[in-house]
Parts: sequence; structure tokens; C-alpha cells
Amino acid sequence: MTDKPLVAAENLKVYFPVRKLFGVAGFVKAVDNVNLEIFRGETLALVGESGSGKTTLGRALIALVKPTGGKIYFDGLDITSMSEKQLKTLRRRMGVIFQDPYSSINPGFTIYRAVEEPLVVNKIGSKSERRERVFKALSDVKLEPPEFFAYKYPHMLSGGQRQRVAIARALISNPEFIVADEPVTMLDASIRVELLLLLREVQQKYGTTMLYITHDMATAKYFSDRTAVIYAGKLVEVGPTRTVLSNPSHPYTKALIEAIPDPDPQNRLTFRKVILGEPPSLLDPPKGCRFHPRCPAFMPGVCDTREPEMYPVDSKVRVACFLYGGEQA
Amino acid sequence: MQLYYSTLRGMVRAVDFVSFEVGHLETLAIVGESGSGKSSTAHAIIRILPRNVAVFSGSVKFDSMEISKISEEEFRRKVRVGGISMVFQGAMNSLNPVMRVGDQVAEPLIVNKGMSKHEALKEAVEALQLVGLDETMSRRYPHELSGGMKQRVMIAMSLVLKPKLVILDEPTSALDVITQTNIMNLLKRLRTERGFSYIFITHDLGLASELADKVAVMYAGKLAEIGPIEKVYTEPKHPYTKLLLESVPTLRVDRQPVFIPGTPPDLIDPPKGCRFHPRCPYAIKGKCDVEEPPMYRDGEQAALCWLLEEGKT
Repeated sequence: MTDKPLVAAENLKVYFPVRKLFGVAGFVKAVDNVNLEIFRGETLALVGESGSGKTTLGRALIALVKPTGGKIYFDGLDITSMSEKQLKTLRRRMGVIFQDPYSSINPGFTIYRAVEEPLVVNKIGSKSERRERVFKALSDVKLEPPEFFAYKYPHMLSGGQRQRVAIARALISNPEFIVADEPVTMLDASIRVELLLLLREVQQKYGTTMLYITHDMATAKYFSDRTAVIYAGKLVEVGPTRTVLSNPSHPYTKALIEAIPDPDPQNRLTFRKVILGEPPSLLDPPKGCRFHPRCPAFMPGVCDTREPEMYPVDSKVRVACFLYGGEQA
Repeated sequence: MQLYYSTLRGMVRAVDFVSFEVGHLETLAIVGESGSGKSSTAHAIIRILPRNVAVFSGSVKFDSMEISKISEEEFRRKVRVGGISMVFQGAMNSLNPVMRVGDQVAEPLIVNKGMSKHEALKEAVEALQLVGLDETMSRRYPHELSGGMKQRVMIAMSLVLKPKLVILDEPTSALDVITQTNIMNLLKRLRTERGFSYIFITHDLGLASELADKVAVMYAGKLAEIGPIEKVYTEPKHPYTKLLLESVPTLRVDRQPVFIPGTPPDLIDPPKGCRFHPRCPYAIKGKCDVEEPPMYRDGEQAALCWLLEEGKT
């Protein structure tokens, strides 16, 4: 890991228009004023509930969604002002793994063709060079022997094997940056850990930078270096994974961690402390801090009037909460 | 209990010689991976099996009454009404979108107990209050509610007939963690206030420990291990239980999670001998791959594994 960010978002906004019969009824503010840096060689876990904007943020970072405002830098280049043609060349340096291995692989392609595709599209290598790289990628993800798997079709593979194919496809062009969007959510518990270990292994082997999008704090703990927590389209806490999970600062992060049960026979005897309510509508989010209506540490007149910025708790952790900064605190 | 489905590819042995008991006021959690037969077991108990069932044998007793062989009408009167009810997986999508939720909760009372609509609605509102939804909610339509609220409605619906046993099939699997915890707290409160027994089906060992007094671990259609949660979670007897517990990434304890190599077997042609032997690090050659192990019992805990044979432990 170096201290130069490979990917950086500055005041990033992604709004989706909600249309009515004539014109636009409003905007869903899926990602709002997000500042985030991902350093070379690290895995950053982006944790949030469904609808928090984590997938949208991930997609924006690899230019799959056009941002409404703000800048995204990839290796120092501003990708928000690039043309589609320039983006196409840049996308070679990025990879993506989607959540559902049952729909992300073309059922009419053999595994060989599915994994080779990024090279063909980007016109990389000769036929024999490509062949070598496909087989190497397949053995990297432990689909061995590769010759055996290469000529199968997706329906002949299990969910775990398909997700390995998706990883091989993301790796084949030797990308510097991979976005893994809930890569193990659809898989069975006993193979999740195996796949995450594999992802970690190839990431370290090739020094790839990774954004691991998940709703599962516990896997973030074991498979990431830093964690960013997102709530209702805004980042609430960013810091080293261990610190964020063992000593959370933002009231939302605290509530999220408290809500997760570890296997423990004592659990059934007590009630879990939990916050009430639901995440807000992103069409019309609450004024001030978006978490204030549910927050146990809510300060009237402060949290509901101004939006908190990201305040530093220490040299590594930043938190969007007035408990840690702003003039009133 | 034995339950085989016939499919175009052959016989699927979904549930194979599974036995368990749930006591009064007790919660049994059935844990297992997808396809381990945990939902099929529950469906067999309340007789909502698909049409392709080829073999269904064994016995289901409820309140010391044999219910697997009684007629459909008798089953409805004695079991469905005030006996056993079920909350389904992804239940939020099983509400009728064009009916007010209060009317939906009241429906079983009108149909099964012959109540007037007015009476039934009154009880439905009470049931909704019990799950933390106020009266105004009963006049709403499902699309006006969030996922967590819909799941509360489903729980209310399963309560109106005042059952003794509630089967919860992955009741929170589509919900966010904070909502999930709210529902689990609700289920805990209802258990003590109303005196239910639960059968709680889940793939999440952490979640299972939120409710379970007893745990049944299923693997490939077989009951691998069963016992009180204190025993099963702290001194697992079956290698599968042990590995499954070790594969859970824990938030509070630092322990690198391990994985179980391989994948669960095909239930059309399960492995000979113990169904777990191809993935088991302790498999005894010439034994585990040849002969099916029996249930070894140690007090209240029992496991299906040759390692527990006298003199081996």
C-alpha cells in the first residue's frame, strides 16, 4: 500500500431523476457529496444497508454511471470530463465483479469465451497469447485443470464456480482496480469464506486495488484494510477496518455493529439494543444529518439544521458527526 | 420423517430419516445450507408439499396427536386453526397488494372461525398492535409499508388464530440488519408474552442463537446433529457442525474463519455412507464411505457420525 490514491472521489453526486408525465418530479439523491480516496494496493470495504447508495457509488467510480456533480480521479486523471472513447481505453485498467453469478455470465458462451471476452473487446494479444492468459486466469481462481473448465457452459457449474469465472474475467486484463459488488451474497455460507480468501489471495498476488461492496460487516472485518460506512447516500465514517469495527465512532456505525449477532448461546436470553425506524427516502432526505431522526445522540438545533462534514477523530478515522467537530461541539 | 421428490432427473432425497421433538415453549432452530432440506421438513409438517412428492413417510405428532395421516379437513380444523402457523421466507411479497393489511390479517378469522367482519377486524388490529403497528396501519395497503413493517404484518397474521407452534422460515432473510434485529426482538418478546413454541429455520448460525434453545443441524437431507444450543455451539460433536461454526466470520471475537472444501452433494445421487464424508477432514477410509453412520446419543445431544462410536472419542 502506498499513500498515493489510485481512485479519488471529490464531492461526488449521483442523482437519478424521477419522471412524471411532463418533466421531472424530483431527484433520488443516491450519492450525495461523497469524498473518498482508495489507495494503491488496498482493499476498501464499502458497507451499507440496501438503498444506501453503495452500489451506485461503486459503479460511478468505474464510470458505469454518470455522476451529476463532483469529480472522480483515476490515477490522477479526471474521468468525469472524459469522452466515451477515452473512457474505453481507461476501462482496461478496471474490473468488476457483480453480485449474481447466475445472470452476469452469458449462458451461450463457453467459460473460455466469457473469460477471453475482455481481451477480445480491447484487442489485447494474439490468439495464442490470449489462450495462455485465459488458462492462467482460470488456474488463478482454482478452476483446475483449466482445460477441463474452459469448454463448459455456465449452467454446468455451481454458483461458487461461476463466481470464480466472474473473478477470472475481472482479472484477465490485469486491472489495477476492481469493484467487487457483494461478490458472495448469493452463495452458501460454507463457500463464502473460501471465495473471499481467494479474492484476497489474487488481490495480494497482483497488488490490485479493490473496492469490496457489502452489507456484511463481519466479512469486511476479515477481508479489507479500510472500511467506509455509507448511510442514505452519504459517507458517515471512514477508517482502518479494525478501528471502525472494534471502536466505532459514528452512532450509525455503532448501531449497525450492535445489530449483528455472533453465534452465542447467550443471545437468546437478552434483547439486543437497537435503533428504531427505517432509512429515509432519498427523494426527500431529512434536513441536516440524514441520520438525525433515528440517532440516539441527536442534538436538537444542531443535527437537524446543518449537514455535518467529515471531521477527523484521529489521524486515520474521519466521521460525519457533530459529536466530533463543527463549532458547536 | 422421509421425503423424496420425483423430478425429471430422478428422485431427490430432500429429507431422509429426520427425527426431532419440539417441547412446549421451546424454540428449535433448524440450520443448514440451501438445499439441505430444512424448508422441506417444515413444509412437510404443515402439509404444504408440492405435487411431485414421491415418498412421504414417517410420523408427525402434534400435542401427542398423529397429524400426518388425518384427513385434509380434520387437519385444517385441528392443526391449521389454532395449532401450527407459518411465516414464510420473503413473506413481504406474499401479501395481497390490493387488500388493506387489516383485512388480510382478519381473513383467517372470518374463514376459519366464522367471525363477523367487525369482530375479526377488531382482533386483527389487536394482533397488529402486538407486533408494534398501530391502528392506522391496518387501513394501509402493502405498498405503503416498508419491508420490516410487511414482515410484522405477516407475523401478526400468523398469530391471529392463536397457534401453539409458529414455524419461521428465514423470516428476516430479505431485511436489513437493523430491521432484522427489531424483528428478532419482537419474536423474543412474543414468545415470553404469548407462550409459543417456535421452529426457526435459518442458514445463519448467529441469528439462530438469537432464539434457539435447541439446534438441529441439517446436511444434505440428513440431520447431522441435534442438541441444546449450549452443547451444540460450544462442544459440537459432528465435524460438519464444527466446521460450519468455524466458517462464520465473527465480529466480536478475532478468529480467522475457515472454509469447508468442496460443495454440498447432489441429492439425487448422494454419496455412499455418510453424506459428509467427501468433505470431512476426519473421514475414516473403508468406514465412512461405505456404511451410513447411526445417531450416537450423549444425553440430550446426538450426532450422526462414526467418530462417536464407542472407544473412538
